[in-house]
Amino acid sequence: MKGKAHQARTLAAALLAALAGASLARAATAEECQSLRKHGHRDQANACFQSLTQAREPAIRAEGFWGLEMYQDANNEFRTAVAQSAASANYRIRWGRLLHERFNNKDAADLFQEAIQRDPKNAQAYLGLAQVSADGFDNKAVEEAKKAIELDPKLVEAHELMANLALEDSDTKVAAAEAEEALKISSDALDAMAIHAAIEVLADRSPDAWLAKVRQVNPSYGEAYALVAHHLFLNRRYDDAVAYYRKAVEADPKLWSARSELGINLMRLGQTEEPLQQLEMCYDNGYRDAATVNSLRLLDSYKNFLTFRDDRSIIRLHKKEAELLLPYVQTEVDRSIATYEKKYKMKLPDRVQVELYPDHEDFAVRTLGMPGLGGILGVTFGEVLAMDSPSGRPPGTYQWGSTLWHEMSHVFILTATNHRVPRWFTEGLSVHEETQVSPEWGDRVTPEILVAIRDKKLLPVAELERGFVRPEYPTQVIVSYFQAGRLLDYIKDRWGDDKILDMVHSFAQLKTTPETIQQNLGMSPEEFDKQFLEWLYKDLGKTAASFDEWRNHLKELAELAKEKNWDEVLKKGDEVLQMYPDYVEGANPYEFLAEAHIAKGEKKAAAQVLTQYEKIGGRSTEALKELASLEQEAEDPKGAAATLERINYIYPMDEDLHRKLCDLWFDQNNPAADVRECNAVLAMHPLDQASAQFDVARAYFAAGEPDQARNHLLASLEAAPGYRPAQKLLLQLEDSQKGK
Amino acid sequence: MAPAPEVGARVRARWLVGLGLLCIFLSGISARAATYYITIAGLGGEPDYEQRFQGLAGDLDKLLKDSGGDLHVYTVSGKDVTRTRVNDIFATVAREARSDDDLVVILIGHGSFDGAQYKFNLPGPDISGNELASLCERIAAKRQLIVNTTSASGGSVAALKKSGRAIITATKSGTEKNATVFARYWIEAMRDPAADVDKNEAITALEAFQYAERKTADFYESQKRLATEHPQFEDTGKSDPVRAPSTESNEGLLLSTFTLVRIGQAQRAAADPTKRDLLAKKEALEQKIDKLKYEKAAMREDEYKNQLTAALVELARVQQELDK
Repeated sequence: MKGKAHQARTLAAALLAALAGASLARAATAEECQSLRKHGHRDQANACFQSLTQAREPAIRAEGFWGLEMYQDANNEFRTAVAQSAASANYRIRWGRLLHERFNNKDAADLFQEAIQRDPKNAQAYLGLAQVSADGFDNKAVEEAKKAIELDPKLVEAHELMANLALEDSDTKVAAAEAEEALKISSDALDAMAIHAAIEVLADRSPDAWLAKVRQVNPSYGEAYALVAHHLFLNRRYDDAVAYYRKAVEADPKLWSARSELGINLMRLGQTEEPLQQLEMCYDNGYRDAATVNSLRLLDSYKNFLTFRDDRSIIRLHKKEAELLLPYVQTEVDRSIATYEKKYKMKLPDRVQVELYPDHEDFAVRTLGMPGLGGILGVTFGEVLAMDSPSGRPPGTYQWGSTLWHEMSHVFILTATNHRVPRWFTEGLSVHEETQVSPEWGDRVTPEILVAIRDKKLLPVAELERGFVRPEYPTQVIVSYFQAGRLLDYIKDRWGDDKILDMVHSFAQLKTTPETIQQNLGMSPEEFDKQFLEWLYKDLGKTAASFDEWRNHLKELAELAKEKNWDEVLKKGDEVLQMYPDYVEGANPYEFLAEAHIAKGEKKAAAQVLTQYEKIGGRSTEALKELASLEQEAEDPKGAAATLERINYIYPMDEDLHRKLCDLWFDQNNPAADVRECNAVLAMHPLDQASAQFDVARAYFAAGEPDQARNHLLASLEAAPGYRPAQKLLLQLEDSQKGK
Repeated sequence: MAPAPEVGARVRARWLVGLGLLCIFLSGISARAATYYITIAGLGGEPDYEQRFQGLAGDLDKLLKDSGGDLHVYTVSGKDVTRTRVNDIFATVAREARSDDDLVVILIGHGSFDGAQYKFNLPGPDISGNELASLCERIAAKRQLIVNTTSASGGSVAALKKSGRAIITATKSGTEKNATVFARYWIEAMRDPAADVDKNEAITALEAFQYAERKTADFYESQKRLATEHPQFEDTGKSDPVRAPSTESNEGLLLSTFTLVRIGQAQRAAADPTKRDLLAKKEALEQKIDKLKYEKAAMREDEYKNQLTAALVELARVQQELDK
């Protein structure tokens, strides 16, 4: 409220006058020093904090050191204060706030909990917990912030935090209301003003009025710009985020958190030099949070990567696998660009940068600056996309080709909408596109998705965004991806691809999800939800309803397979398979049935069931290799080659796979594929250089490239001069040259 | 057969060029000697391991017996594995084997190491590294190879090593105690032509080690698991185990001459007196190629390539004649 802000400014002015007069009739308080800083009087605030360090009470000295950025001293003083006053909740809260600011969320949360034990109605303790939870996008943040407000409705920071959380969830209405509430309580609530500014920026309106108000209170309050930048980042507007982070550090060059984010976001845009400068500056000035340190390490590791450029793409691969992966990655990059250009009727203005990380933690750091990220496989930052390399995950758990096409769709849609597209739509379209490349690609319906369908946990389309940003249950992100994908499948089935493009254009014009649905599909979001769910339940309702029964049957089947009771496996397996045909994860009926058929010598039947597994999207490289062997035995080399080629999109780091393909393509007189696969063997630096080099030579010879063939033959015979097949080909080459 | 000192001199020269080339010449020596294989699959403890160990021993037994040549194969696994049975097998081999024969002992299963002593787990009393060494001592074969693929097998090296005996272990020390996968790939090496890197149609112990070591590392890498076994060998009888051959320390020399199985008809021509001249020419060409490779660094690229091509073409034509 105006009164309170006026009081604060008056107090700051009085304090300033006192400090200017060199002596104080009384000692300053921490709140007074903080108020000076909040209002941009940095030097005076420092003098004020300096005075606090001389106080008799350790808690006050702690506040002084904290204000002077002498964090270790502050930490020590708080420790002393807490030891001296075991019952004090407030000391713990302030200490917790210090630790939260200095990147130690775990100990901070413990201190807030200890404070709650001592004072269960302490709003500040709940606010502290909410801030820690908010850092990790934990859904608990909202509940904790609400609790803080419930305990102290006048707690400005709690309203500001609620506003921020709501805006992260794209709930502009609540965000604006909470910011307004904060401003009613305190008219110089700077973060509330910044939230309003962010709302304006996100809506492509001018934030100038709000930012002017911020500057009126504190011209060097960089945090306001950083807050706007944070929301731009969350909305995938990376260029705009960078621009606001620049404004933040311009307003306050020592705002290291914003400078670090500036560096990290520049990395997201594919830059390396400026990020290094910015992040090193943070590090050298003591700002060493995990994201800064990890990002610096990642930048350092780029010396281990190779970059390949052409007119349309920049591909960055780790040295140890670049030679192997480049042909496959380049082919899919080119193919996806050509496909999407035609489909989305547009061209990308610049080259796409594609990065593959063999270490998932490096990918995670590339994405968020932090390790972790669990199931996330790829991420797109405008025209830069980063993803796990196939070597980054165990064989059979990841289809990198599918992920590449998924991310590439984002590149186009983000460009087409100038990054103004809700997450649910662009993710849904990307998931949809995976299966358009091949029905075998994309994720299958997993048990957690079936359970969500059975328990009716799918979100209304107008609220689907929060299923991605702030999940309410652990698997909600996966369920939301699935739902979004199926929404797009449904739109395509019913209205066609053109309608999807129309929706893209609506989002580009800043229409909301309800507006876009109404405008393009001619119905309300509620009606759309109803019709979509009818369509979905027709397909999966029965499977979802019998999920528990299926699970019990599968357990029995697994037991029978373990006991090698193959007759019973064959008797019951097909029924279990039909109940939930999409289940291709570990211990699936397809592999049990195939094993049973093989044990009984029924190879043809085993091949049939494994073919079903392959067609429905099974990814176990072992099962697919088994199928290829059966196909070869059944004199179906074409089928065997096609089966093995699928593994190239799953786990190509397999020498044996490429050797087999190299032979199969040679036998089928497919020189282009033969050259690629034989070279893949060589790229894996096999111990058996002689045969690997010979195979490449043979492939080039068949492809009509005798010079290449000769070079590889020499390499083969250099390794093993007596290698008969290479000797024969050498003589053949010699004779054919003489014949010329 | 050439007198031993001459062969040794050639070995030395070739050693400088590459270990893999050695067996072409030394295989002539061992061809007439017999190889005694003793494979022991120890106690599994759990049905899965029991099955796995017996399966590996069975595979190896079949592979060796099918490979032809003068091989004497003794395999024991499952319920048959007792100290008495093990002692009996070693006693039989001690009676039969001559000094110019080769001995290969393969241990599959679990091992343990208490900081001082390695033990191979058997039903009933285990067998220690020292006891195993003592059993091998009684066998006259001068060239011996012990492939210990068990957990903690690195702890057995000190007890087993001696001059003329090569030791391969699945783990780098006695403290790597998890079950191992090395045995699987060791056996695979003996049936995969890709293990025969010099294409002389024989798999040496060094080739098999390098193949299995690579496959073991790939296994842990692909499964995204921390590697809990690091295969190593020691074949000089006087050094610490290593993971790669070295021309300086001679580690790998014995292994490179230890032929495990033959996978082709490489020796057929050697027995034909009408082809002696061609064989001599072939050997001369092989030496010329070795020399060229040795001098590669000091030559111009095109000069090296031309000379190498000429020699290889000539060698291929000689081989063509030999194969007629």
